[in-house]
Amino acid sequence: MSELSNNYFISAAEIAAKLDKTTRIAQQLSLTASNARAVALRAGERAAGFRPLTDFIDRLAEVTIKSSKNINKLAAALSQTSVDKERANSAISHFNAIFIKANDSKFIHSLDEVFERCQHKQKQLENSYKRQISYLSEELVMLSSELRNAVILATLSRVEASQAGEQYQSALTNVADNVEGAANKIREHIRYAQQMVSILEQH
Amino acid sequence: MRTHKLFENNSHTWLMFGRDEEKPNEIIDTNQYMVISNKNALLMDPGGIELFSAMLSVVIKQLPADKVTHLFASHQDPDIISSLGLWDQALPSATLHSPWIWESFIKHFGMNNISYSAIPDEGSSLKIDQVTLDFIPAHYLHSSGNFNVYDAEAKILMSGDIGAALECVDAPLFVDNFDEHISKMKMFHQRWMPSNRAKNDWISRVRKLNIEMMCPQHGRIFKGDDVKRFLDWFEALEVGIIAKST
Repeated sequence: MSELSNNYFISAAEIAAKLDKTTRIAQQLSLTASNARAVALRAGERAAGFRPLTDFIDRLAEVTIKSSKNINKLAAALSQTSVDKERANSAISHFNAIFIKANDSKFIHSLDEVFERCQHKQKQLENSYKRQISYLSEELVMLSSELRNAVILATLSRVEASQAGEQYQSALTNVADNVEGAANKIREHIRYAQQMVSILEQH
Repeated sequence: MRTHKLFENNSHTWLMFGRDEEKPNEIIDTNQYMVISNKNALLMDPGGIELFSAMLSVVIKQLPADKVTHLFASHQDPDIISSLGLWDQALPSATLHSPWIWESFIKHFGMNNISYSAIPDEGSSLKIDQVTLDFIPAHYLHSSGNFNVYDAEAKILMSGDIGAALECVDAPLFVDNFDEHISKMKMFHQRWMPSNRAKNDWISRVRKLNIEMMCPQHGRIFKGDDVKRFLDWFEALEVGIIAKST
């Protein structure tokens, strides 16, 4: 796991990049669901118990794709806001330097209005930044709890796979492994993102 | 940063800002110029992001910030205009005059408020109050889209990188010995300027102008006979080559 960058706006970009991978893994989960349905059909009566599980895998894939796409969007927006916030902070620090350097200038007050505007903009960005972090945290928690179902699904799939007879057992066990593997990978990314987000909350 | 008055009459004033002793060592020293008319001002090649605080500090010693209604960027280089994102906050109603070919490039420096007035290849004029300033084409010298600013009344040509010299921050403002000055500008012109044809075309047009002062963006200002000396020297110089400075 990489360390959080010193610059919060780089960290926000890193979160976005990391979470981009979850969509791709979620898409693999969707493929696994299609594959499971095809195997279950071929297995016929012997996989009767497995068939309803494929609907759950499908639903899990659908929810995960939707949620991870939303998380990606939120992370990308957070990254953009972080850059805008950094720029606004930089403008404020430049103006502060001018107020020190040129405080005896005849026309120093001609900057009051633009400085106020910059401060207002900075405040707005600060609020957006906090709001976006909070949305992102909530969405990460939601997806994480959805993925807990994957473990149950994988266990049930293994049980049903063992009843499907030798010919289909390994294919169905493979489906169970894929579901569990994809869910674990996504949860790992989520845990990383949650750690990074909790550090960003302090900025 | 030093401020030097180059010209003044009833209608307008030319100021030069430069020789910033507080600038970081790693960045090249630049000259900035400003024309102040009755109600407006044009700031030329306002400089890099590192220079912004120093520049705005010296500007507001001269006039209220909102009087700077026009900016000019001779070309797209960072030492010319990378401070744009900050000027955009300080002068939200200003207009930036710059070559049309750089519009979508220069906007990468951050431009949400300032308007972009694209200068066509053949050049154009800007009238601020009673003052007319001409944007003279200087393409390929060195940038492929590049302009000088000429003031016929003040007889001043702001020549951008043409006539530029690489020297220390405490160098005099004016060329005092042309022959000695050659060594400080020869390599710059040979290495940065790519086209003899563009160079000679610019010289033939500029020879027709009445110029008392030629003001480059780096180094010293050429005054009086040194303007002609520069044009003669530049005409004889082969550019677009990599050669060691002599």
